[in-house]
Amino acid sequence: MVALGRSYLFATIAFLYLPIVVMVAMAFNASALYALPIEPSLHWFAVLMDNGPLLAATRNSLVIACATSAIATALGTLAALALNRGQFRGQSLLRLLLLPPIAIPWLITGTAMLVFFFWTGIGRGIHAMMIGHVALAIPYVVLIVGTGLQAQRSDLEEAAMSLGSTPVHAFFSITLPLLLPSVIAALLFAFAVSLDQFVVSYFLSTPGVSTLPVEIYASIRKGFTPEINAISTIFLGVSTALVLIFVQLSKFGGKLDRS
Amino acid sequence: MATRAAPESTAVEDGARIRGSPRIGTRPGWRIASLLAPAYAWLTLAVFLPLGCMLFFSVLKAAPFGNHPLAFTVENYLAFIRRPYLFDVAWTSIRIGLWTTGLCAAIGLPAAIALARATRGRARQVIFLLVILPFWTNGLVRIFSWTMVLREGGLLDGALHLVASSAPSLSLLYSFPAIIIGLVHAYLPYMVLTCYLSAAAIEDAHIEAARSLGARAPMIFWKIILPLCLPGLTSGSILIFVPVIGSFMEPRILGGRVGVTMGTVIEDQFVQAFNWPLGAALSFTMLAVVLVIFAASSRLLGRIGPR
Amino acid sequence: MTVHLSRRTFNALLGSTLGAGLVALAAPRRSAAATSEITVLNWKGYGTDEAFALKDFAAATGITVKHDYFSSEAEMLTKLRTNPGAYDVVLINSARTQQAQGEGLIDAVDLGAVPNAKDLAPSLKDHPNLQAGGKPYGVAWVWGMNSLGVRHGKVMDAQSWAIFSDPKYASRLALLDDPTTVIGIGALLTGQDINNPKDLNAVVAALKAMKPNVKLLWSSEDQWNKAFSADAFDISVYWSGAAARSIKVHNLPVDFIVPKEGAIGWLDGLSVPASSSKKPAALQFVNYMIDPKFYVTWATQAGAPASANTAAMAQLPADDLNRQIHKSEYLTKLQFMSALPDDRRQAFNDAWEEVKAFYAK
Repeated sequence: MVALGRSYLFATIAFLYLPIVVMVAMAFNASALYALPIEPSLHWFAVLMDNGPLLAATRNSLVIACATSAIATALGTLAALALNRGQFRGQSLLRLLLLPPIAIPWLITGTAMLVFFFWTGIGRGIHAMMIGHVALAIPYVVLIVGTGLQAQRSDLEEAAMSLGSTPVHAFFSITLPLLLPSVIAALLFAFAVSLDQFVVSYFLSTPGVSTLPVEIYASIRKGFTPEINAISTIFLGVSTALVLIFVQLSKFGGKLDRS
Repeated sequence: MATRAAPESTAVEDGARIRGSPRIGTRPGWRIASLLAPAYAWLTLAVFLPLGCMLFFSVLKAAPFGNHPLAFTVENYLAFIRRPYLFDVAWTSIRIGLWTTGLCAAIGLPAAIALARATRGRARQVIFLLVILPFWTNGLVRIFSWTMVLREGGLLDGALHLVASSAPSLSLLYSFPAIIIGLVHAYLPYMVLTCYLSAAAIEDAHIEAARSLGARAPMIFWKIILPLCLPGLTSGSILIFVPVIGSFMEPRILGGRVGVTMGTVIEDQFVQAFNWPLGAALSFTMLAVVLVIFAASSRLLGRIGPR
Repeated sequence: MTVHLSRRTFNALLGSTLGAGLVALAAPRRSAAATSEITVLNWKGYGTDEAFALKDFAAATGITVKHDYFSSEAEMLTKLRTNPGAYDVVLINSARTQQAQGEGLIDAVDLGAVPNAKDLAPSLKDHPNLQAGGKPYGVAWVWGMNSLGVRHGKVMDAQSWAIFSDPKYASRLALLDDPTTVIGIGALLTGQDINNPKDLNAVVAALKAMKPNVKLLWSSEDQWNKAFSADAFDISVYWSGAAARSIKVHNLPVDFIVPKEGAIGWLDGLSVPASSSKKPAALQFVNYMIDPKFYVTWATQAGAPASANTAAMAQLPADDLNRQIHKSEYLTKLQFMSALPDDRRQAFNDAWEEVKAFYAK
């Protein structure tokens, strides 16, 4: 049974990585038109190093994604707690309100944000992009943390409190550690949402301040070359390295970890 | 605020309220409000108010540029009546949503269960993160990589011909299945993640008990694992179905002439036709349909609320 | 019902944010130096931003050229409307020149201040699309065609748009995702005026008849190149200048053919926004753009549409691809894209959306 489970997992991961492998392979292909067969070449990496705007855009993406994921996770976790641990009027409505940011095509939301931000003086730029990204990430965080909360027993907190703990202390010493996997998952997702967000960024960027997905999206129009693959490959390499370091340094499973 | 201990409630009440007990509900309302306020205030500022602007646009006759005076109309909300082909387009979008969500559930749930029960410790962490990692690659580049795999003479074809060299070309690109493949690939991690969060909380003790009572694997799955994973399946479905029906990148790039969805039609209004009022009206119509579906199903399942 | 709100403020605020946000820019719009810098608004990679051109022009006149880009004609108009003073030269398809003039966005051009204008083909220089009130509002710059782009060696008998519905090419057709172009094709097939087809239903029917052949819709030259080189289609409608580039730069086996019904012509003009504060410098740049020196280098290095300057065209080698594709006799035979009233444009958009939905069924 376990062996079956593992091989199935393996197959799923293989499916997930198929286009990633292709993407990386094409970064090393000399053809500008992505023609097969592959002629190995490091040409595009060299071109990439000269591409100042693309590199700056990547840096912006990372900065924004880090800030976004931190803020969105914090806000979203609090909201998830309220939505999943209590019963009060208007709860379903509040849940439904989480849907518009995900349901309405980001094109609409992005344009709407652009107009509204200008009207209210918020303007465009990195701060505006961050406002937008956090808003788009919050529903994901609430849903993911909410799922984790629903799987937990809240009577542990009650037990702690009946033994004299304050609610806040009970939260930090009991709920949060149990919730850690969900919170971390939500954090990673928020990071991904921000990193890949191009439509809203497209509208809210100012001249000279752009993010990686926006640059890629703009290139789709004008014509993109494997430089894009090169930077995506580098990105992937760096993310993988960071993730492995994180795994080494932390015990991420919390008390639910079955090791 | 004094610590409120549970003792006032009776033992029966306690037992009946083990999960999702309204502890917070017994606190003053401002506690709940303060938990909700930051997130929803942010959403209001960044999403709801701007969408209000868009709502305003949707009742205009033309995008407010140039020298025309502003003219109001509800024509755009009658779009489906004026343009009956939109029904087909909407149905295509829903079909794409259902297929994608269904396949993600079918593939993702077993993967999540396998992850929660067949792996341990470091291996589990690593695999979990491996599942998330593709998210950190750019979506457009991933879609484009799929074109290389699926097109005639692409990688899938090449692999097929290695095995069966006289087989006809599998030209999967520019078709409905290609769109589904691209979307399932993009959204699968959501389902794996949410289902994992549910599956990981299932206690070994329950499974052991069932097994010791003679239950076989399928029974355990149906009676224990699946029901406990339902919240994960539900949230995953929401996270997938909702954006997928509005998607336009995968249909455009992978679908060829078949790739016409509500998402692409709306995008055309904004980018090609500059008919913002129509684009906005179509989006809000789509949103209304989604909200109705979820309001109805949450009532049905009683699941989106606390248990 | 019409309601006048504080329209100017509303429009200006809206439009400026939209216009500004619509494209990720590389160049700042305002320049510190007064007359030694101008800003040009154009498609990306469309001649005015060629590296050699900017260098030569700066060397000859001391004027630095910055660029801002748009990715659709509607976007170009929005940017003009909402950034007064930001642009000094703007590329406007002659089909939109009168629209821009009607809104007071561009100035009349004094052709006397543009020495190279004397060599412009008269039919283009004085083309009605560029005129308003008897004065020219755009300088004819380049012209080209949307016509048949077919795979060399595989498609031997392409003489008519009708091959788009020929069963021989089932699933081997790539159409351009642009309403004016496809309506134009339908109009040519049904013998109508591409700018004002009286029987739009016949046009739509002609387009729907192509359904079995349509494989994909392309919207950028790069997408066309990639799909063509991956052997996704054999026949298509394509841009003439782009065809020259695909052959020259990418060595793709494509033949560019003008069918018997004719092709869809377009004329791009360079105009000067009314709000520009550097008009003399702008006109100098325009003059350089129609100069044979610039054009010949552009065409031979990269590939370009046809120059409106007959002297420039004459300087191309006889076997030059750009010259062979853009025969001068086409100037009299082509129907050129012209200005469309808003409701007709909307009708074209809606018709194309309907056809696309039909293709997808």
